[in-house]
Amino acid sequence: MDVNEISEGIFEVRKGGKKILATKNANPGSNVYGENLLEEEGEEYRAWDARRSKLAAMVLKKMKVPIKSDSRVLYLGAASGTTVSHVSDMLPNGIVYAVEFSPRTMRELIQLCDTRSNIVPILADASRPKLYGHIVEQVDVIFQDVAQPNQAQIAAVNAEQFLKDDGHLLLSIKARSIDTVANPSKVFKEEVNKLEKDFDTQFKVIKKHDLAPFHEDHLGLVAKKKLKEN
Amino acid sequence: MKIITWYGILTIGDDGVSECEPFNKDVDELAELLLQKDVVAYSPGSGFDIRTVAIECGFVENDEEYNSLLRDVSIRAAKLQISRTNTPDMQIIQAVEALDDIDDVVNVLSERLSEWYGLHFPELGLSSEPLARFVSEFGSRNNVPAEHPMFEKATSSMGSELPSANEELIMGFASNACELYDSRHSIEASIVRNMEKMAPNVTLIAGSLIGARLISMTGGLARLSQLPSSTVQVMGANRALFKHLRGRAPSPKHGIIFNNPLVKNSPWWQRGKIARALAAKISLAARMDVYSGELHSEIKVNLEKKVNSIKAANPKPPVKQKPAGKGYKGKNKGGER
Repeated sequence: MDVNEISEGIFEVRKGGKKILATKNANPGSNVYGENLLEEEGEEYRAWDARRSKLAAMVLKKMKVPIKSDSRVLYLGAASGTTVSHVSDMLPNGIVYAVEFSPRTMRELIQLCDTRSNIVPILADASRPKLYGHIVEQVDVIFQDVAQPNQAQIAAVNAEQFLKDDGHLLLSIKARSIDTVANPSKVFKEEVNKLEKDFDTQFKVIKKHDLAPFHEDHLGLVAKKKLKEN
Repeated sequence: MKIITWYGILTIGDDGVSECEPFNKDVDELAELLLQKDVVAYSPGSGFDIRTVAIECGFVENDEEYNSLLRDVSIRAAKLQISRTNTPDMQIIQAVEALDDIDDVVNVLSERLSEWYGLHFPELGLSSEPLARFVSEFGSRNNVPAEHPMFEKATSSMGSELPSANEELIMGFASNACELYDSRHSIEASIVRNMEKMAPNVTLIAGSLIGARLISMTGGLARLSQLPSSTVQVMGANRALFKHLRGRAPSPKHGIIFNNPLVKNSPWWQRGKIARALAAKISLAARMDVYSGELHSEIKVNLEKKVNSIKAANPKPPVKQKPAGKGYKGKNKGGER
């Protein structure tokens, strides 16, 4: 078994000929959602399943994840915290703001927050950033996985309020939640177009990749803010 | 310009922050303040970094303290928010769902019981709850006492004998079903009690169980009160409604409010009109429950008046016509799918 750091805080553990994506467990000895714990050279790693996490799928699709050990991350659509827990692992000196709308799933997310020192839970609607403008600072990365028909707009308003000029937007677009019947590649094209042109805050798409076979009809996307010319 | 942050109120002048009034550094107090309503109006503008100001104005010493205090405060605040979303109607919603779950399970069990016990005593002629009670009380038909009305049938049954090992099994199975029936009755009673307390007007108009179901379907009493009554009227008739919207059928006349005796016990040609009147009053009642919470029994009187006038105006069935609706071809006889 050997370990290879493929991006800051993201590791590839080789075990019996298999490569397993993992993050260093910030809360050693316990797992979050039943994932495997891997011991190597006195460090404990948590296996990260690309089928359960769009961010992990983006890593496996060789997309560069711009998260560093001291990054400040705004995570929109945190759900019950499977992916958030791995982001938390990657940020020994950083902080992640986890926004989730449903009180039911927030219940589980809070239990995760209790065991970790760097997650700030926010129960609010991600399409209204003014609701948490008094909590969230300027961030290096926005990761968004909200599966809403207006997700491009949600990304734009949040980036306008919170994203540093040199910050990155990581976005997962679910074609089926924008238009259930349209051809996914057409939906993706339209969404990318919206991000580049439609709103006050415009983005420059750096990389995009289909997330199949891990997630059907999903597009992973990395973008930067297009700076306004003064 | 004034802005509110989680740690205090800032005044912004022409050249940056001119004044900073930090709140008390107490987690509980900060958590309450985090949830105040006017944060939207005084939200920091885009690109404003609240962290640097917190350190500059001395609220926290460094980044680590900022992180850990903000984390503690927001966890506390989120817990508060969650406990506040657990309103009494959430209890009712769960109770209604539990009722449906029990019905599903108990139906399956009682079918099994009737097949199983039927091997032994096919003449019994009981089903569901009475059957479960009978089996868990007597077990084998040989134990039915002479004064029991089933005694005669039991002694002359064509069923096979029940071995004693199996008798124990089947009695245990039946008593499980009985416990579910007991649980169902007590849940139902609690729904009736809670509905009278929480939504007296809806209970008066719709009945406690129908009212509880409407609340459960909409996700809360407050939401029910905001719905148009045309929605209330057809709620629970989703299939019929979507068929209608696709233009293949006339509009549904009633959803679950059909089970209200006013609708159910009326002749078919009056039901649609009565359902409409009933739905309108349910909407009114829900609004009264949300905004005043007091019982206004006059709406019941008004509803009865309205129903009586509908009945008086439509005493006879209309002559059946070909129903309207685009592409509608009479009763669905298969064919077009």
